[in-house]
Amino acid sequence: MAYKAQYGPGSSIVAENRRKYMNPGYKLEKIRDMSDEDIVLIMGHRAPGAAYPTAHPPLAEQQEPACSIRKLVVPTDGAKAGDRIRYIQFADSMFFAPSQPYLRSYLESYRYRGVDPGTLSGRQIVECRERDLEKYAKELVNTELFDSARCGIRGATVHGHSLRLAEDGMMFDMLQRCILDKKANMVKYVKNQIGEPLDKEVKAGKPMDDKWLKAHTTIFHSLGGVAYRDDQEYIDYVQRIHSLRTKYGFMPVE
Amino acid sequence: MTDARYPQVRIVPERFLNPDTTERLLNLIVAVKGVRRVLLNGPRLPATVPYGPARGAMNPHTMRRTIRVGGEDVDLQVHVGYVLLELESSDVIPGIRAACDEAFTEFGYSVKEGRFMKTEATLADYAKYGPDADKSMIGMADPRSRSGPVIIQGCK
Repeated sequence: MAYKAQYGPGSSIVAENRRKYMNPGYKLEKIRDMSDEDIVLIMGHRAPGAAYPTAHPPLAEQQEPACSIRKLVVPTDGAKAGDRIRYIQFADSMFFAPSQPYLRSYLESYRYRGVDPGTLSGRQIVECRERDLEKYAKELVNTELFDSARCGIRGATVHGHSLRLAEDGMMFDMLQRCILDKKANMVKYVKNQIGEPLDKEVKAGKPMDDKWLKAHTTIFHSLGGVAYRDDQEYIDYVQRIHSLRTKYGFMPVE
Repeated sequence: MTDARYPQVRIVPERFLNPDTTERLLNLIVAVKGVRRVLLNGPRLPATVPYGPARGAMNPHTMRRTIRVGGEDVDLQVHVGYVLLELESSDVIPGIRAACDEAFTEFGYSVKEGRFMKTEATLADYAKYGPDADKSMIGMADPRSRSGPVIIQGCK
C-alpha cells in the first residue's frame, strides 16, 4: 500500500517539530555527548560496568513453544538476554521544552521496539528491557529531544512541568537532581533519577538559549510562543476528529 | 483570622526567587511602614526525601537556607513563588511596588490586590492552637509543622 504516514496536522513550527520527532526517517540532531556510563549513573538501576541482572534465562537456553508469532517477531537484544524491565522517566517544562509527555510516547512507539511508554500530565515514563533502555535513553538524552534545563530525568518527585522557572532558567525540582554551574554554563546531575546522591557529577550539557528552544519546542504556549489557536489547521483537524468520534464512535463515516 | 479592613496584596514574580533575591526583597518590604504580615508561598523543599525509593534520604537543596530579614533569621522551607502581604492601608501599595522595582531587575512581576491569607481556622489549626488562638497567627505557619512565624520587630 502506498501510504505515507503524516504523523500530525498543523502548519506552525510546533506542529512541524512534532512531525519531525515522530518520523523515524528523520535523523535527530545530536547536541550533547553523554556517555553510556553517565546514562547508567543517572538512571541508577545498576552500577556502571556491572553485569545485567536477568529476569529469566536467555531465550536461546530455554525451551520456546512452537509459535508462529515467536518465529515472526525477532526479539530485541534485551529480550534475547532475558534482561529485567527498567525505566526512565522525564519531566518537561511547559516553558518551551523540546518534548512533552504525549509526544514522547508517540515518538518512542514509532522509533523503538519493545517499549512500554506511559503518558501522564507532567511526566512520561518508558519501560523496556534494560540494555535496550540504555540504548534508547542515550538517544533521548543526547539529541534535540532533550534540553538540560527545561527537561529533567526524574524517577520520583517529578513536580515542575507547569511551574515557573527558577531565576537561572532551570525547571523547579524539589530534589534538585541537577544544578546549573554558571561559570561553566553547564548543567550537572548530582543525584540519580530517584534522588540518591551520585559519587561523581554527571555533565548534562549546556542549557539551550530561548531562540533554540522556541525553534525546537513541541509545546504550544500563548505567552511568548506559538498559541494553539493560531494554528488553524491543527484546530480544524482536532475539531473534525472530535465531531466524527462524537457522531460515529470508532466507525467514523463522513 | 484576618480582619477584612486590612488590604492584602500578592506579589507574583515571573520566576521563582532565589534566597538572595528573597532576602533583598523582604528587607526592602520590612523597611516600608505599614506592613502587618508577610507570607512566603511556593513549592516545598523538604529536608529529607518525602516519598519514592529514596524516602528518608537527605535532600540538600541550594534554595533552602536561612536568610536574614529585619535582623531576624528566617528559615526558608519553600522555593518562593508568591509573597503575600497584609497592609495597614492601601496607601502602602506604592511603597511595595517601589520595593519590587528595586528587587526585581532581571525579570518582571505583578502586584495583585485581593484576599489571599487564611480567614478561618481549619480543623488542623484548631487541633494545633485550640479555641482561643491568636487570630493574627492563623495561617502564618503550617499548623502541622513545629515551626512558627518569625516576628520582626523595630519597624513600627
